[in-house]
Amino acid sequence: MSDVTLASPPSPTVLPEPPVRAHDASALISMRDIWKTYEMGTEQVHALHGVSFDVPKGEYIAIIGPSGSGKSTLMNLIGCLDTPSKGEYWLNVKNVSEMDDDELARIRNQEVGFVFQTFNLLARATALHNVELPLIYGGIGSSRRHEMAKEALRAVDLADRVTHRPNELSGGQRQRVAIARALVNHPSILLADEPTGALDTHTSMEIMDLFGRLHGEGNTIIVVTHEHDIAARAHRVISIRDGLIEKDEKIR
Amino acid sequence: MQRLGYNETPRQSFASKGSAVLARLRRTFRFLRVAALWEAFLVALGSLRANKLRTSLTLMGIVVGVAAVIAVVTIIKGLDKTVATTFSSQGSTVFTVSKRPRVITSREDFIKFNKRKDVVLDDAEAIFRACTWCWRAGVAANTAEPVKHKDQKSENVNVRGITPSAMFDIDAVNIDAGRFWTDNEGATAHEICVVGTDIVQNLFGGIAPDRTLGQNVSIAGRPYQIVGVLQAQGKIFGASRDNLIYIPYSTYQKNFGAHSSLVVFVKTASADQLEEAEDQVRTIMRNRRGKTFGDDSDEGFTLETSDVFIDLYGKATSNIYIVTYLVAGVSLFVGGIVVMNIMLVSVTERTKEIGIRKAIGARRKDILTQFLIEAVTVAAVGGAIGVLTGFGLAYVISFLIGFPLLVSVASVLLGVGMSSFVGVISGLWPAWRAARLHPIEALRAE
Repeated sequence: MSDVTLASPPSPTVLPEPPVRAHDASALISMRDIWKTYEMGTEQVHALHGVSFDVPKGEYIAIIGPSGSGKSTLMNLIGCLDTPSKGEYWLNVKNVSEMDDDELARIRNQEVGFVFQTFNLLARATALHNVELPLIYGGIGSSRRHEMAKEALRAVDLADRVTHRPNELSGGQRQRVAIARALVNHPSILLADEPTGALDTHTSMEIMDLFGRLHGEGNTIIVVTHEHDIAARAHRVISIRDGLIEKDEKIR
Repeated sequence: MQRLGYNETPRQSFASKGSAVLARLRRTFRFLRVAALWEAFLVALGSLRANKLRTSLTLMGIVVGVAAVIAVVTIIKGLDKTVATTFSSQGSTVFTVSKRPRVITSREDFIKFNKRKDVVLDDAEAIFRACTWCWRAGVAANTAEPVKHKDQKSENVNVRGITPSAMFDIDAVNIDAGRFWTDNEGATAHEICVVGTDIVQNLFGGIAPDRTLGQNVSIAGRPYQIVGVLQAQGKIFGASRDNLIYIPYSTYQKNFGAHSSLVVFVKTASADQLEEAEDQVRTIMRNRRGKTFGDDSDEGFTLETSDVFIDLYGKATSNIYIVTYLVAGVSLFVGGIVVMNIMLVSVTERTKEIGIRKAIGARRKDILTQFLIEAVTVAAVGGAIGVLTGFGLAYVISFLIGFPLLVSVASVLLGVGMSSFVGVISGLWPAWRAARLHPIEALRAE
C-alpha cells in the first residue's frame, strides 16, 4: 500500500503558509493546513484552523481532546464523511480534498473502516448481512461476499453469531460486529469514534484488546476519544484543543 | 461543534480531474449495479414487511386507483363491443337507400327529409337492374302491429315486409324450424309469415317451434300461416330482437298500404366492394331524382351503412367516457399521492439507516435506487391486486347489466404499467431527498 515507488502526486507550487511542508507521499494519511469553517448565520466559526499531520502505515493513534475541541470534525474529515474548507488531505496517495460526493463514498467504502460509539448497525439485518453491506456497495459477488463476511466475523470471535440480529447481541458483541464490518473490505485505516463510549469497563477492555490485536496484525488504527486510559493504549497521541493540534507525541 | 449546521463554505471544484476518475470508477464498479439493485430490492421487501400497516395503506391507495381504471376500461369496452356486434349484425357489406336517415338530429332536417320523394319499388328495381357490384339486394318496410293467436295477444310486434327472399340473407337471420318462403310464393301476396321466437313464446306458450308450423297468427286482424320460425337473436339493452314477423312485401303492400317509403338493402360480396357499389347506387339514384354530380342541393335520398348507429353511439357516449376516465384517473392520482406521502415518512424514519449506508460507501445512486425500488414494488404489487379487483368489479357489473366481459392482456399491462409509473413518479422526490442527505447529519438522526 505505502509502496514509495508509486507515482507521487504533484506538490503544490504555492505554499499557503510558510511553515507548512509539502505533503508526505510515503504516509498513509497526510493532512496539510486543514481548515473547517461553518457559517452560523452571518458569523463564521472555525472548527479547525490549520491542522497538519502525517500517519505512516501501521500506526496506532489516539486523537484526544475535550468536547468542542474539533476532534469530531477532524474525525469526519479523516473518515471522508466531509471535506475540508481549505487545505489538502491525501489518503493512500489520493487527494481526497478534491473529491465529489460519489468519489468520497467510494473512498469510504474502500479505504476507511468506521467503528462508531453507538455501533450503527442495521437493526433489522443479521450480523452477517451487516458485515456484508460494505461489500455490496463495493460490488462484490454474493458467494465471495459471504466468505469474506464470515471470515471477518471469525476474526472478531463471532463465528457463532452469524445469523443473530443486533437486538439479540450484547453491547460488546454488537461492537465486534461493527468492527468486523469495518474490517471486511481490508481498508487502509480503521477509524473508531469513542468505540467504548457505550460499553461497560470490562467490555471496553475486551474491545481495546481487540484493537491491540488488530494493530498487531498490521492494521492502521485511529481512535478518537476523550478518555485518557483508552488513548494510553495507542502508540501515538494527538491532542486537539480549539481547532488546533496542541500536542503530538509518541508514547510507545 | 455538534450543534452546528452544515452550511459549509464552498469547496473548490477540480473539473479537469473528474472525467478520468469517473471512468476509473465505472470500471471498478462494473458489478455494483446488480448486487446493489438486488440489495435494494431485498431492503425494500424487508421494510415493507416490517411496516405492515403502512404497506397495506399504501397498497390500498394504489389498488383503489388501478381497480377504478381497470373496471371502467373493461366495462366501457364490453359496452362498446355489445353495441358494435348488435348494430352491425348485417355486417360491413350492407348499405341502405332510404327516404330519410335512420337518425335525425334536428327539426329542420326532419322537414327537409319529409319533402323528399318516397323510395318506391321502381327505385329498387332500377338498382337491382343496373348495379353490377351489388351481390344481394332487397327491399323492406316495417310497421308495428298487434298480433293474436286464439286468446293470446301481443301489441307492437315488428312486422317486416320484405322482397325478395334474399332479404333474409341480408338481415342475417337463420331458420330454426320450417322454411323461408320461395320467391314465387312471395310474389303472389300470400298470407304467409316467418316468426321470431318471441311469437312462439308469447302466443303459443313456448311449444316446440316445429309444432307452430302451419298454424295461423292474426296480424292486424288478418290470418297468416306460419311457414318458418327463426333462430333466437337475443337482446340488446333489454330490448328483444326476436319480437318480429317477416311477411312477403307483396302481402305487406296489399294489407298495410303502398304509401309508405321503402328501404332498399344492398349487400356486396366483400367489404372492399362496398364503396364501388355505393358509388353505382348513388349514381343510379341521382339520375332517378334528376340530380347531377356536383349539385349541392339535397340529393333526395339517403345512403347509409349500419356504421351510422355505431358512430352515433360513439358520439353520444364519448363525453361520458372521457369524464369517467378522468374520475378513474383522479383516484389513481390520489393513490400516487398516498405512495409519495408514505415514502416521505419512510425516508424520514430511516434517516439514520441512510447515514449508516452512506458512511460505509453507498453512493447517491444506491440510496436513490433503494427508495425508488421500494416505491415501485408497492405500486406494482398494488397494481396487480388492483387489476384483479377491477376485473372482479367489472365482472359483477357486466353480470348485472348483461354484457360480455372483455379481459384483455392490454388492460392488465395498462394497470400494472400505470401503477409502476405512478410508483416511480411519486417515489422520485422522497428518494431524491434521501439520496441528498449529508452522511454526518443523517448519522446524527435518531
